[in-house]
Parts: sequence; structure tokens; C-alpha cells
Amino acid sequence: MKRIAIAAAALMLTACATAPQSKYDWGTYEQSLYQYYKTPAEMNVLAAALDASIVNAEKASRVVPPGLYAEYGYLLLQQGKNRDAIAFFGKEKAKWPESATLMNRMIKIAEVKSAGSEVKQ
Amino acid sequence: MKSILQRVLALATVAIVVTGCATPPQAHNDYTAFRQADPRSVLVVPVVSRSVDVDAPDYFLSTISQPIAERGYYVFPVNLIKRVMEDDGLGDANLVHASATPKLAELFGADAVLYVVIERWDSKYAVISTTTTVELSYSLRNGKTGDELWKHSETMAYDPAGGQNGLLAKAIVAAFEKAKPNYIPLAKSVNGISVARAGRGLPAGPYDAKYKTDQQQY
Repeated sequence: MKRIAIAAAALMLTACATAPQSKYDWGTYEQSLYQYYKTPAEMNVLAAALDASIVNAEKASRVVPPGLYAEYGYLLLQQGKNRDAIAFFGKEKAKWPESATLMNRMIKIAEVKSAGSEVKQ
Repeated sequence: MKSILQRVLALATVAIVVTGCATPPQAHNDYTAFRQADPRSVLVVPVVSRSVDVDAPDYFLSTISQPIAERGYYVFPVNLIKRVMEDDGLGDANLVHASATPKLAELFGADAVLYVVIERWDSKYAVISTTTTVELSYSLRNGKTGDELWKHSETMAYDPAGGQNGLLAKAIVAAFEKAKPNYIPLAKSVNGISVARAGRGLPAGPYDAKYKTDQQQY
């Protein structure tokens, strides 16, 4: 009986799932973002988690999902790593042309910030 | 006693498999406007919440990207968008929901804008068990015209002592702590079912293999 229940559950999981296999390697994106909203002071933890998710996906030749490069780039910008931020905004734009308007805007913001910090030095 | 319970559970599970997966092909939404607009990208704007839980909108945000992206759409980075909108004075969800879609869409280059309202996000405590409920409503609007392309609302409740939610129980039960309900698995289930259910959800987007070939279902 138990076996039938397990088999039925397995069938459910496979048969009912409309998108059976994931297109993208999400890494820890959802959990990390949730944790970050729970403890917003820990932005660096989120940044490290996104970095790891991206690196792992690329290493395994899996597709990095929409938005991930940009999310990481934004945290780099917050950390003052403007040049790195620009690189990741560029990656998002290259992978997802739909993001071009937003990424061009973000790159511009990062460039202005970057020029400003160079003047200060 | 145990075997009767198992038998009932197994039968219930089979019933869910039979009913849950057989989707009648005839009854589906009118996707004319959606097909015409043919959106490639979805911008999720700040979420309106009618729940007293002040954290609900932020927590919810962590659950919405994956299901829509897996349907084949480009989803704008939700945290970046949240921060940039706050910087631009667009952090008030009620205000954003009430203002014109095309201007907003143009700002970010989005084909479609998704407005989500958290209708319920609560737990009712009782002696034996706690029922946790998440109810969400969605409205996807055309970034160019502001016309509504898709509308849906979905409720899901979880009661650990109920057992009527055979489909949910296995996936979710582990995530619940005693006095501290975790809404995330429920929110994820509500999102997943809402966007992917045949005839009611979102048709396959440009990054899905079924793009423009799923008219039978959607």
C-alpha cells in the first residue's frame, strides 16, 4: 500500500509538473534573497551567495537565469566596486537583450559613480 | 488503523493525480490580447499587501522570478528594480499600482508589467493546528497600452492536521516550524500553479520550447 502511495506521489511530481526540468541553474537565489530581506544588514552575504550561484552555474555549463548577473552587479555597485558592476551589467545585457534599456542606464550610473570616485582620489 | 489511513491517503493521492492532471482542453482563458502583445519581458513592480504582516511584500519578492522565468520570459531583477524604484521615488506600491503602465514600462524597457496584490498572508492559530493561508492576485498589463493581458487570483491554505491538501503536504510539511509559519513554500506553490496551469496561466514565453505552439492549451 505504501508503495502505491509513493508511486502515486512520484507520478504526481513528474506528471503534474508543467515545467518538469528547470531551464536555468538558480543556485541559492531565492533562499538568499529571502534571508537578505530578513536581515537587510547582511548585503555581503547575499552578494557572496549570488557570486557562488553564478560561478557554479558557469562551471557546470548551465544557463545563468534572467536577472542574476544584474542583481549581483547592483550589489557590487552598492559596495563601490563600480568597474566590476559595469562588467556584470554588460554580461546581463549580452545574455538577455530584453534588459538593454535598464542595463544601459545602470552602466551609466556606475560610470558616473566611478568617475566621481576617481576625481576624489 | 494504520493501514486504513494509508489506504485512504493513497486513494486520495490517486484521485488527485487523476483529477489534477487531466485538464479539459476546451475551457481556457481568452489569450487574444496576450498573443497580440507577445511580451518577451516581465517587470514585477512593488507588491501591494492587504496583510498585516509588514514583511510579506519583501519576502514574497523572493518567490516570483523563478516561476515566470521558467515559463520562458525575461524577468527583470526584482531586487535591483525595487531599489532603483525606491531611489526614483516609486517605492510606494499603492501609488505605483494606481499610475499609468506605459510610462513605467518605458523607463525600464519592459514589454509587460506584473502587478501583484497579497490578499492574504496569515495564520490562524487553534488548539490543535495552525492554518496558514496565502492568497495572491495578479494582473499583467501591456507595457505599450496598459491593457490587461492576464488576470488571475489563487488561494492556498495549509493545515498540518487537515490532510486534505495531499498534494501540498509532502513538499511543504517539512518547512513549517511550530509557532512560526513559513509562508515561502506556500507562496511558491501559489505562484507556480498560477503561472503554469494549462488554460489559466501564462502561455509559453520566447525562451520556452513551446513558444507559439501551445495554442491548444492556452
